[in-house]
Amino acid sequence: MTAVTDILHLLFTANLWQATLAAAVLLLLPALGGVISERSGVVNIAMEGMMLTGAFFGVVADLAWHNPLAATGVAMLAGALMATVHAVVSIQFRADQIVSGIAINIFAAGLTVFLVNRIYGLQDVGHVGQSELIPYINVPGLDQIPFLGKVLFQQNVIVYAALIILVLTHVVLFRTRLGLRIRAVGEHPQAADTAGINVFAIRYGAVITSGLLSGLSGAFLAIGISNTFVPNMTDGRGYIALAAMIFGKWTPGGAFIACLIFGLGQAIYDNNSIIHVSPYLLSMLPYLLTLIVLAGVVGRSTPPAADGLPYVPGSE
Amino acid sequence: MPLGSVLLAFVVDGLLVGVTGGNPFAAYGALLCGGFGFICTQGENPVLQISNTIVFVIPLITTGVAVALPFRAGLFNIGAEGQLLAGAIACTAIGIKFSSLPSPILLPMVLIGGMVAGALWAGVAGVLKATIGAHEVVTTIMMNYVAQWFLRYLIVGGPLQLAPGTSKSSPIGAGARLATVLPNDNTLIIFGLPSSVYRVHTGLLIALAAAAIFAFLLWRTSLGYEIRAVGQSQKAARYAGVSVRRTIIVTMLIAGAFSGLAGATEIAGVDHNLTDKYFSDSTGFDAIAVALLGLGSGVGIVLAAILFGALHAGGSVMQADANISGNLVFILQALILFSIAANFVGAIRQRIPGLARPPTALPPEMPPAAPMMTEAAVPPVES
Repeated sequence: MTAVTDILHLLFTANLWQATLAAAVLLLLPALGGVISERSGVVNIAMEGMMLTGAFFGVVADLAWHNPLAATGVAMLAGALMATVHAVVSIQFRADQIVSGIAINIFAAGLTVFLVNRIYGLQDVGHVGQSELIPYINVPGLDQIPFLGKVLFQQNVIVYAALIILVLTHVVLFRTRLGLRIRAVGEHPQAADTAGINVFAIRYGAVITSGLLSGLSGAFLAIGISNTFVPNMTDGRGYIALAAMIFGKWTPGGAFIACLIFGLGQAIYDNNSIIHVSPYLLSMLPYLLTLIVLAGVVGRSTPPAADGLPYVPGSE
Repeated sequence: MPLGSVLLAFVVDGLLVGVTGGNPFAAYGALLCGGFGFICTQGENPVLQISNTIVFVIPLITTGVAVALPFRAGLFNIGAEGQLLAGAIACTAIGIKFSSLPSPILLPMVLIGGMVAGALWAGVAGVLKATIGAHEVVTTIMMNYVAQWFLRYLIVGGPLQLAPGTSKSSPIGAGARLATVLPNDNTLIIFGLPSSVYRVHTGLLIALAAAAIFAFLLWRTSLGYEIRAVGQSQKAARYAGVSVRRTIIVTMLIAGAFSGLAGATEIAGVDHNLTDKYFSDSTGFDAIAVALLGLGSGVGIVLAAILFGALHAGGSVMQADANISGNLVFILQALILFSIAANFVGAIRQRIPGLARPPTALPPEMPPAAPMMTEAAVPPVES
């Protein structure tokens, strides 16, 4: 039973939980994007592609301008641009939102590699210098708290930002007029329209927000955690984020808990040198857990009522 | 309509090549050479190019069927890739375990084994959908990743690994292999090359049979009627006495069997062992485009598979001859998906007075995929 004792031992190290939180944030941002988009009634399985696009353009911008802040902005815009495509196709043209999402993911995977070859030749993209990465900042004072200081206050800037965005998303969705409108549009667009809410505008805004957040996560991955772009470097994280969204029953808090669980799996996976389970079997866990959740073991998971249905003004 | 969508995608794609400093005509010329053996300028052997295209086309037909059939029942099978991998894994495992058996016994064993594995993989999604209403898009995505990681486990440090440090399995027995169409002989020269380089295998017949079975099943059997009925309206199908649950599960099982068969024919016909090539295989995703473009008819699926097979085979030639990344093919594929799904061509047509047609409903042969969350979210209730 060495594997079990090793994992137990690992669970008491601050390093593991520090890594867990970072890995969770990488999933949390696109998951929040998914929550916002689907709460407004637009199914979004395109977080993977938006994240990948963000990662690529973040690296391109950082290599060109040597400015991580501007590069992060570019990454978010790139994600938002992809999201706009999804929005136009699925809101304006009322295309099947799943087909559109798949197309975005294929498009992003093809476009990024295509552009790597066109811009950088067949070689790799090159590496961003250490000083030009999104910085890690220790919160003075608080980072000295034993254990918790390391886990919560010795993190990348994006981690702090993501935790703020998490709270903001929850507050906006459930405590503001805007949030009520978003949810109304996702539950019953006809009624919302009758009440004077601009269904299209809300949905556009929600989908584009999901692109901004996914792009931010892509920047964190490429110029925060890593320092370069590798083809397909998101490696399914957008889909795990999708799983986290469902796992969390379309709520920000629930999604965060799911992301922590998946992040813990990732952190254990990254520390695989001291455990003796195949890392590949561990990698299956988030997906299996999601299936178990979907199977109703942890209660029903019900999406917004109008999720996936294009809105046709004047329809019943 | 699909032809217009494809043309529109090619135009936009060509613009992208032009904008990024490439020559779209050189790119498409190379694509045409690599895909169909036409106008080859760098001395490529046209027959070899066609052979390579057919090798790509074979699994695309079978997985295309695996996406198109559930589509008719209003189910979106995004899991063809995972089901294909499950089939490939089962085929390899059986082909290694019983490698000494003769071909008449072993070949059916590996093919059926692949079908069963694929069916079980898809069956999980079918059962979850039919019993508690879990959306098949999400469950099949999850099953894709489970299959991918399970494959990695098996051939990197797991029980099927050939030797430490490798990421492949040992080869399947000779009896488990599908024959190539031309003899696998290095000394026999056909069309100027040793005949062993032509990898077209008899799995082509299996794939064509799959397309024929699909068309027959859908239009000539009562199950096909039930599938179409469920796809049009679960409620109406229920009133007509169709068991929606049963139809959903059976449809997914059959679809999975087709995907699993695709995986098995890839192993038995082309690779003969599991390799890291399968980590980044995209056949099951290409199949979605094949099914949508093929309008859900047997012939349509074969034609769409030929298009995408040619694009993939042509991609490598384009990379070599025109120095344009073969990934352009994926962009093209995504554009075709957008174009079909959003019906841009129809929208453009409406803007041009002479071309405007009265708006029509979706053609009856292509029902929209079930809305993600209406009936889908509610488990079907049996009366």
